[in-house]
Amino acid sequence: MTAGANSQATRMTDHVRPTHDGPDASSLSPRGGLTTPRIERSPIVQMRDITKRFGPVLANDHISLDLWPGEVHAVLGENGAGKTTLMNVLAGMYQPDSGAIRIAGEKAPIASPAEALQRGIGTVYQHFTLVPNLSILENVALGANNGFILSLGDTEARLTAMLAEFGLDTSPHTEIRQLALGQRQRVEIIKVLMRGTRVLLLDEPTSVLTPGEVTSLLALLRRMRDQGVSVVLITHKLGEALAVSDRITILRAGRNVGELGPDVMSGTTRESVRRLVVEKMFGGSEPSHPAGDFRRASGELLLSLREISTRRDGGAPALKNLSLDIFRGEVFGIAGVDGNGQKELGEVIAGQRHVLSGEVLFGGRNLTNRGVSAASRAGIGYVTDDRLHEGSVAAASVAENVALKAIGRKPFSNGFWLNRHAMKEHAKTLIADFEVKTPGPATPIGMLSGGNIQKLLLARELALDPQLLICNKPTNGLDLRTAEFVVRTLREQADAGKVVVLISSELDELLEISDRIGVMYNGELVAVMPRAEADPETLGNLMLGGPAHARQAVS
Amino acid sequence: MIGQRLIPPRIVPLLTSLAAIIAAMLLGGIFLALRGKDPIAAYVMLFTRGLGTSYGLTETLIRMAPLLIVSAGLLISLRTGVWNIGIDGQLMVGALFAGVAAAAVAGQVANPVLWIVAAFAGMGGGALWALVPGILRVRWGLNEIITTLMMNYVALNVTSWLVKGPVKDPAVVPPQTVLIPREMRLPDIPGTGVHIGLFVGLAAVLLVTILFRHTVLGFMLDVVGRNSQAAVHAGMPVNRLTLIALLASGAFAGLAGANDILGVKGLFQGNWNPGYGFAAFALVYLARLKGLWLIPFAFFLSFLSIGGEMMARPLGIPTYFVEMLEGLMLLCFAVATWFERVRSPFARDEDVETGSASAGEPPGTALPEAAVERVAAAAGSRP
Repeated sequence: MTAGANSQATRMTDHVRPTHDGPDASSLSPRGGLTTPRIERSPIVQMRDITKRFGPVLANDHISLDLWPGEVHAVLGENGAGKTTLMNVLAGMYQPDSGAIRIAGEKAPIASPAEALQRGIGTVYQHFTLVPNLSILENVALGANNGFILSLGDTEARLTAMLAEFGLDTSPHTEIRQLALGQRQRVEIIKVLMRGTRVLLLDEPTSVLTPGEVTSLLALLRRMRDQGVSVVLITHKLGEALAVSDRITILRAGRNVGELGPDVMSGTTRESVRRLVVEKMFGGSEPSHPAGDFRRASGELLLSLREISTRRDGGAPALKNLSLDIFRGEVFGIAGVDGNGQKELGEVIAGQRHVLSGEVLFGGRNLTNRGVSAASRAGIGYVTDDRLHEGSVAAASVAENVALKAIGRKPFSNGFWLNRHAMKEHAKTLIADFEVKTPGPATPIGMLSGGNIQKLLLARELALDPQLLICNKPTNGLDLRTAEFVVRTLREQADAGKVVVLISSELDELLEISDRIGVMYNGELVAVMPRAEADPETLGNLMLGGPAHARQAVS
Repeated sequence: MIGQRLIPPRIVPLLTSLAAIIAAMLLGGIFLALRGKDPIAAYVMLFTRGLGTSYGLTETLIRMAPLLIVSAGLLISLRTGVWNIGIDGQLMVGALFAGVAAAAVAGQVANPVLWIVAAFAGMGGGALWALVPGILRVRWGLNEIITTLMMNYVALNVTSWLVKGPVKDPAVVPPQTVLIPREMRLPDIPGTGVHIGLFVGLAAVLLVTILFRHTVLGFMLDVVGRNSQAAVHAGMPVNRLTLIALLASGAFAGLAGANDILGVKGLFQGNWNPGYGFAAFALVYLARLKGLWLIPFAFFLSFLSIGGEMMARPLGIPTYFVEMLEGLMLLCFAVATWFERVRSPFARDEDVETGSASAGEPPGTALPEAAVERVAAAAGSRP
């Protein structure tokens, strides 16, 4: 069945792929039937073979992308797929290492955000750039007036018209801080459009919006499209992309892995498009391990979460009445697109985040809101995904960092006096055991590479011999060998009768070592399944908020 | 990427501080020249009078004591990432408490007991004054830079009111506490004119050095200062540690106040404010937040202020000149640390690209860009 879906996918993309090449690309582009004749028949922006590297990370690998006037073009991909980098290249924030950009057919290197604006490319970032205690008018005028004297009269008239058109029933003199988030976003868009923008880039525009605001934003995007603006929607929310886009480009691991043009989008059912996208985003590879190879969770109950609710740092709900039981001897994988509550779940278990309601029971003890050190003493370890800002103190030595979490205990101290010798010896042991590349235990940890820091953080937790270890994206950014080492180590922990909670967005990794996999979406555990029943497509669908069995639903 | 980079030799931060001092003195020389004074003659006089005379040397060593105590306390708070701008207010309240307590027990107890009572009263007063901003910070997240700064003004007026009324010596006209007789004050170190407060200062520095090198508390304070998110992650009581740092720093300031009452003045006078706070900031940063380095830099800054006073009068230069030099040193220091990070052969690639603080250097020891403004604001609006 998967194979069938694959070949179908290949056919479809082969059909669309030629839009990239040749001067007569437009004639090959089968957009004719879809919308209207007002559309010019050449792309307004052509990005060719854009490559951008950050140190060892190849963020964009020869990506080519065309934007057409009067279309909504969604760029989909997981976190780290290269979406934002690509858009930053177009917005003039980054210079590509190689590749070329043409605007309206002319070669146009974009050296700065200012130049991008001049060429008609405007960006609305996830984090707003409005000044809260200036008025809408002042914000829009900021930077738009190049002269010395601010002339607001002309701008005000145009702005008033725009506000009405955008459904903002408010005076141009209203201060930004009085507006709701959705309204602020519209002001951002207006601000960009008023500078003559023909290409509007929106980076995850719905992440801050309520469902109602999302609906009206999508309607607004359609209207802008109808006025000939080329709207680029960067998102990992498939539902929104499907609802509004004329064209979808899918990025994976820095590459353009497929483009679905208007023919596909309008020619097939939404469900089949959804299936195509999921396959491309997460890979449709068959599981490398035969099902049934994994022992089922059968040990005693170790961790029990009862109807946990909590908020994220900003105050928005992060977990909604989440309940979960985890048993000894299992690796429990948690899949999800970033920001759906996985990190907060890990923090709640580790005692690092307060719960508003619910209970955390661990080995029969109630650890609810007891704090990190209580959890740590009870036998819970936690390796954070933010190894630089949260996991380690960059300026402190390797020895100090590996003693960080147990500094008040023997052998690192007697509770008052430090035993620096013991810290150093402990660090030496871990460095040897985990083959960490460092000049020595006295080196500041921030000078090590990410992989070596990750090894040390994992080693630090394992040295405390936790009964339960939470790992958030433990292989993120690691080279293959180190990643394999980390994954193997985690599996061994579970095999020794401990528990590992593995939070990851790498489905391959989850499928490789998990006994059960839970999927988080929007603060809820939307599914928990044994490894044998999980495959990338099912998980991917659930991660994007879709039904578990899209395939069955279609066929 | 593996990170076998050159680690800067330990001497580099010291050179940075020295470069900042030299640059500040050159700039100061330009100011002198602009006023028609001969900078070379002025600096020669600064050194010959400040260090070359026994009076200058004695005064320098006496001035060192409160500077050492105050900066030992400031070091604790700055290494914890807490900006205690309220040193001056804490010192005033501590001095008043010490003056009142010492006068209350004078004549009834042996001298060492009197000193200890005064010392604890001073520390209590200083810590009390730091407690308010401390609670505001940990309970409601109010920025301690603002609150400690504002508490300085409250301290000035409250002590001034107290000394005019409730705790005034009724026997005399001017607003001041009861004078402690000379024989009950701190004795001189034998053979010198320097009172034993200098030892208290050295002990304070030693204590803080040991705190950060060898104790769990010091380790945790350092972690909070360097990366409070990591401290939370590691389960450290960040709020409690923040409060401890502020209180300790206030207590040291109060102790410095007690030291000046017992060693130099004998009483607390209304409007007395020696303004050590600003000098202490310059001192702690020039010493790169390292405990033992405080001692030579405290000596230097004491000499500068004593020598500056002695030079200023005969040459007709305002005594503010020394404060200006201190300010210039902080500014030059901020520039010098930037060069150290970005332009030195030891700089890391990433630093050069971003120009930002990084792993190579403990964040605390580099003067953040905003720091200069904060300190300058604190100094400029000092009561």
